Amino acid sequence: MLKFRTQGYNGYSLQFSPFIENKIACATSANFGLVGNGRLFVLNTGVGPEGVEVERIYDTQDGLFDCSWSEINENQLVTASGDGSIKLWDIKLTEFPIQNWHEHSREVFSVQWNFIKKDTFISGSWDHSIKLWTPERSQSLTTFNIEHTNCVYNTIWSPYNADLFGSASGDQTVKIWDTKLPHSIQTIIAHPGFEILSMDWNKYQENIIITASTDKSLKVWDLRRPDIELLCLRGHEYAVRRVKCSPHNVNIIASVSYDMTMRIWDISRQSNPLVEVYDGHTEFVLGLDFNLYIEGQIATCAWDENIHIFQPPAFLS
Amino acid sequence: MTQRIQQIASHLTGDNPAIAKVGRKTPDDVVIVTAVRTAMTRSKKGGFKDTVPEDLLAAVFKAILEKSKIDPKLIQDVAVGNVLPPGGGATVARAASLYAGIPETAALNTVNRQCSSGLQAVVQIAHEIALDQIEVGIGAGVESMTFGYGAGVMPENTSEQVFSNQAAADCLLPMGITSENVAKDFGITRAKQDAFSSLSHKKAAAAQEAGLFNEEIIPVKTKWTDPKTGEEKEITVSADDGIRKGTTPEGLAKLKPAFSANGTTTAGSSSQVSDGAGAVLLMKRKTAEKLKLPILGKFVRAAVVGVPPRIMGVGPAYAIPIVLKQTGLSINDIDIYEINEAFASQAVYCVEKLGIDINKVNPKGGAIALGHPLGATGARQISTLLTELRRTKKRLGVISMCIGSGMGMAAVFEAEW
Repeated sequence: MLKFRTQGYNGYSLQFSPFIENKIACATSANFGLVGNGRLFVLNTGVGPEGVEVERIYDTQDGLFDCSWSEINENQLVTASGDGSIKLWDIKLTEFPIQNWHEHSREVFSVQWNFIKKDTFISGSWDHSIKLWTPERSQSLTTFNIEHTNCVYNTIWSPYNADLFGSASGDQTVKIWDTKLPHSIQTIIAHPGFEILSMDWNKYQENIIITASTDKSLKVWDLRRPDIELLCLRGHEYAVRRVKCSPHNVNIIASVSYDMTMRIWDISRQSNPLVEVYDGHTEFVLGLDFNLYIEGQIATCAWDENIHIFQPPAFLS
Repeated sequence: MTQRIQQIASHLTGDNPAIAKVGRKTPDDVVIVTAVRTAMTRSKKGGFKDTVPEDLLAAVFKAILEKSKIDPKLIQDVAVGNVLPPGGGATVARAASLYAGIPETAALNTVNRQCSSGLQAVVQIAHEIALDQIEVGIGAGVESMTFGYGAGVMPENTSEQVFSNQAAADCLLPMGITSENVAKDFGITRAKQDAFSSLSHKKAAAAQEAGLFNEEIIPVKTKWTDPKTGEEKEITVSADDGIRKGTTPEGLAKLKPAFSANGTTTAGSSSQVSDGAGAVLLMKRKTAEKLKLPILGKFVRAAVVGVPPRIMGVGPAYAIPIVLKQTGLSINDIDIYEINEAFASQAVYCVEKLGIDINKVNPKGGAIALGHPLGATGARQISTLLTELRRTKKRLGVISMCIGSGMGMAAVFEAEW
């Protein structure tokens, strides 16, 4: 178990580098992201006396709610900010972003780099819109803004089709989009009456997605049969803030929640799919990622100003 | 910052009222399939002066069954708002339900939240449906002020101890005096009250002339004794009879104060004493779709709140903001407000206090022109509101009223067409 204190900053999101196994970035905000600055931590694990060392710290004017590594340049990553801006950072530089886009009119909650085409990324915002970007251009490529009627909390690329992505919104829907089309190609009212805070795409099954909601549940969906979920995972005691599918196991997913826990689920089990509950955090847990290189390694970040990097016992057996 | 806190708070409660409840259709929405009412007629003078409340109630129940063509066996619970009848009206209401063809398997209760009883009955059924306690139910309201109204309504013996408390004693104030209190406390002038009252008649007369009540009013055949000849005949009552087309502010200005010698509230600026009934058939959207029934609109949410009994008329000014906040809506988001006109004083106060566009208030007139059969009013307003929203292709409506003994109630409905 490695722990790192993001002193004075509350964790919102983190991501392991897709290039280097012991590098991780964490987007944080002062004052719980309600008001004030943001800070991006770039950390190296497995080094130094504590096992975690800071490589870079970047400060921003407003809170940071998400970050995503570039899939094409191992030194670059983008962050989503409360002031509506999206910044591109190069960790070869000690300060200042190398690019700063400001098109969203409200908080940006989500950024994700396209891991197939590798030259674009998408963002989702409280302004209800989704934007497609490329680092080479000073303006967004496309805006998808006439469909969601509430915050877009999460935007996730399909691991199978470079043009396909999904969006999870406070309007109780997830939508599936093709970047070549101006409108969504599928809408699922996944959690009627409740906000959807996160989604992820199964890394091994191209039609399976998972949604996470303020109704405290996660749902597994087959996009070919969207009328009803395949499975509803209950156990979290408060809203589920983020869900991630394992990059190594088709059936394993992890989720973090306002109930201060991280939970691991096995979706191949029709009954009792909950595998493990991790309750090491003492505040809302908002950030979650699987290490691509070290099977079973998970990182979480929380409002308790802590990043935990560990292999849950379930994965060791 | 406030919005971010609200967002996190809504994540924790799992309840973001801004979503789903308004502007989006979900299978679990509680929807209104049929809404009907009788005409509202002047008590002791009008078409229903010889009609007892169970007859009025049976008429709206029958109309619900006929209009919706629903299999009566599917109805599981019925709630009826009424205020004045002896025994809470419970027995005669049950009898009316059985007579109308609702099978004995359907339960029934009456409810008395004073002037909001009709709305309370509908809200009760809506909540039962939302919680899957029942699938199909009827919310209704009825009042014969001909038969129920009078001194007998007040208790004969009261507790000296309880009524030594000022607020408790205020509960016994005649409603007209509470109107005078509102007018005096908040400076609602006689001229404003008369102008508002005259407008209510004008709007109601125009709506009646244009046939805008035809869809909501069901004709009721009943017996009626001609007061001049004493002859009993069968008549069909299908129009509100309290509307005075020629009412002007100048004419109203000539009326004497009705409740206090130097007061400002007159018979012309008070709601009329009336007889009438209304009923609403409710179920979830998925049930309506399964039964292939049309959907008039959905019940979004309701709120009640207590206010000082001596100025009970301010109720809507307190209840409306609560229900709007709970639904994530603002005053201007609402297309039509049906605010019960117990008195012009309190209606004017509430409209001004909340900053509501007067053109959105009671577009077909209110209780000053149409009448206010106490327990029926809430159910009546639902018919009136949904009909008008649908006719004008508008979406959001609020129903609200003040409540004797010091309360306000408000509910948001969303029309569909």
